[in-house]
Amino acid sequence: MTITNEREDLLTELGLNTQNRATIGRMLGTGSIERATERADGTMEATLTILEDSGGWEPAVLVMPHGGVIELTVINDDKNTHSALFPSNGDKQFLGLLNHSRGKATLTLDGPGFYWYSSPGGNDEGRGLTAAIVVLGEVPPEARLDRPDQPRP
Amino acid sequence: MTVVPDISDENQIKVEYVEAGDAIPHSALSAIPGNAPAVTDDVNSERLLDARSESQNWLTYYGAYDGQRYSLLDQINSGNVKSLSPAWIFQAGSAGHIAGSSTYAFEACPLIVDGVMFVTGWDGWFWALDAVSGELLWRYKHAVPFDVSLCCGNVNRGCAVANGKVYFVTPNAQLLALDATNGRLVWQKTIGDVRAGESASLAPLVVKNTLITGSAGGEFGVRGHIDNWDLETGEHLWRTYTVPKPGEPGSETWPADGEAWARGGANHWVTGTYDPELNLYYAGTGNPAPDFDGEVREGDNLYTDSVVALDVDTGEIKWHYQFTPHDLWDYDSTMEMTLFERDGKKLLGHFDKNGYFFVLDRTNGELQHVTPFVDRIDWGVITRDGKVTPRRYPDKEGEPVHFYPGPAGAKEWTHAAYSPKTDMFYVPVADVGATATRRRREFKEGMPYWGAAVEVDIDDMAGSVSAFDSYGEEKWRWRIDYPMAASVLATAGDLVFAGTPTGEFVALDTRTGEKLWEFQCGSGHHSSPSTYSVDGKQYVVVPVGWGGWLEGIIPGMLGQGHGSALIAFALPG
Repeated sequence: MTITNEREDLLTELGLNTQNRATIGRMLGTGSIERATERADGTMEATLTILEDSGGWEPAVLVMPHGGVIELTVINDDKNTHSALFPSNGDKQFLGLLNHSRGKATLTLDGPGFYWYSSPGGNDEGRGLTAAIVVLGEVPPEARLDRPDQPRP
Repeated sequence: MTVVPDISDENQIKVEYVEAGDAIPHSALSAIPGNAPAVTDDVNSERLLDARSESQNWLTYYGAYDGQRYSLLDQINSGNVKSLSPAWIFQAGSAGHIAGSSTYAFEACPLIVDGVMFVTGWDGWFWALDAVSGELLWRYKHAVPFDVSLCCGNVNRGCAVANGKVYFVTPNAQLLALDATNGRLVWQKTIGDVRAGESASLAPLVVKNTLITGSAGGEFGVRGHIDNWDLETGEHLWRTYTVPKPGEPGSETWPADGEAWARGGANHWVTGTYDPELNLYYAGTGNPAPDFDGEVREGDNLYTDSVVALDVDTGEIKWHYQFTPHDLWDYDSTMEMTLFERDGKKLLGHFDKNGYFFVLDRTNGELQHVTPFVDRIDWGVITRDGKVTPRRYPDKEGEPVHFYPGPAGAKEWTHAAYSPKTDMFYVPVADVGATATRRRREFKEGMPYWGAAVEVDIDDMAGSVSAFDSYGEEKWRWRIDYPMAASVLATAGDLVFAGTPTGEFVALDTRTGEKLWEFQCGSGHHSSPSTYSVDGKQYVVVPVGWGGWLEGIIPGMLGQGHGSALIAFALPG
């Protein structure tokens, strides 16, 4: 039985958080978690990176404090070509990422909830290049049900 | 290719990156032109009131406010339908992980306005197509959270059009108004609380200068509501809850203590019908929550499993009729309330999940008569004058109880059609039972709240398209081996169109039920076909693709292939 604080050690020991050791690719969701920063005008920003031969996005989970617009700097530090397909209201946003390249993406996302994004070429998505953007918060007060506060899990 | 030096502290060149630029819309990497003719600019309240006379178009969810799903078009008719063949096919596959990736499906009814087709899909998709060629003119994709609460699949039933815009809802309970010429967002409103388990799936209905929507989420213990919005601005005009608060009319049908009312369900998740003379919107409401554990909500539980007639200007409930008081079988009454006239009387016909066909006086809700429309009903009995006697229901904790019809009902949300030409209703019938074992659970916001383990039969099932006169007398039946799970369409060409779970799209003779034509579409049907004409040529269009709440509707077909195509048919030449 594994306890929570052993998770990182066991991922490394088993080789689940790297390419071609335990699994063929890298298990999804085995990277780091980071918070987006928020500017005074409410726009959020963050950097997403593909590290060399990692087959994963860092962070693997990016957390936005609320719904709205986020500006991403997207870096491919890998020695292979990838791309990014992000969710955004209106249309998905596509960014080609040649070896060792850097670009930007601006997304609009509702909250709360979480969204997957990925590198859509070949099977980058299955090899590990699928990651999550989490949006925190509640719906606007006017959209909440008229009832007493209810217990949550 | 531009090479951009990355300057780190103290002007040391650390890394040089290739400049990848800015992300671009995914549709920019396609042949989609991104614009459509401005066909909805002149669609207004007056045109919608007379929508049936514009038979070249399909302007509202049901084709007209009366919900009849009947078209005056007769170019394709019982004499020539054998020559019907595909005119074009639109394929709607998608990329990446989506919510309900095993349950997504078309459940939409395409709208057509002067040669442009507007169709919604799962997961926030909206497409505008050339109705003659099938060319995709523009598309819109709303980003939908992967973890949104969906009781029954990632689905959407359609859109509304008016005043140069199209309107639809998303699984994460957003109401969107788009520019109908290019799909760009005009306004957006949050219409439900996803943390409470609310979502949205119905096609909005334009009434006067407003838009009516409802909520989904009855399986999560929410409090159902119907809302009204200004067409131009999205301003919220009124909200009517379909479960009363303590002290409000109907609250006496809920336990006086506790908060059962606050979790009571009664969601309006299928578009209602509208009588402009009476100024009433007829909204069907869903099951109470928890679905199968009635002991925690003693009483009739108004306004669950009901039709509520709302004043469209105020949202006030003018009258109601409850089809299944104190429901213990998940018998939503959200499906169509078909408006028709007989002997000068304004009537409303409704085929309920509970297996009975109700006809009401739609001016006041007075029951005219009730008749069964499926062979096997043993959950209870409803007499012709409306007296309800439950017989088999989950009652004791842990004790399995089998009953007919199962929780998807003798007719699920999928729609019947009514032909004034024959004075007959054509009904997609499901004949399958289920076993429910009561398992009480504590209510927690956002968690499924059924109160039972439920298993629908997989080896004893049947279905049909059945024709009934307006008194409920069966006139003919076209039988299949599986429950019907898609809407039917009736036309003045003496045809009834219907899709089967095994993929056949068939045309039946309205007078006899004889099958006159069929086409194998390659996946099961779970949507609503519509018909239209352009430059004098009639088409029939059907969204195809197996999915949705299959474990409830027809679990014996859970393993059928998925599919997600829109197919238009026409006569040669």
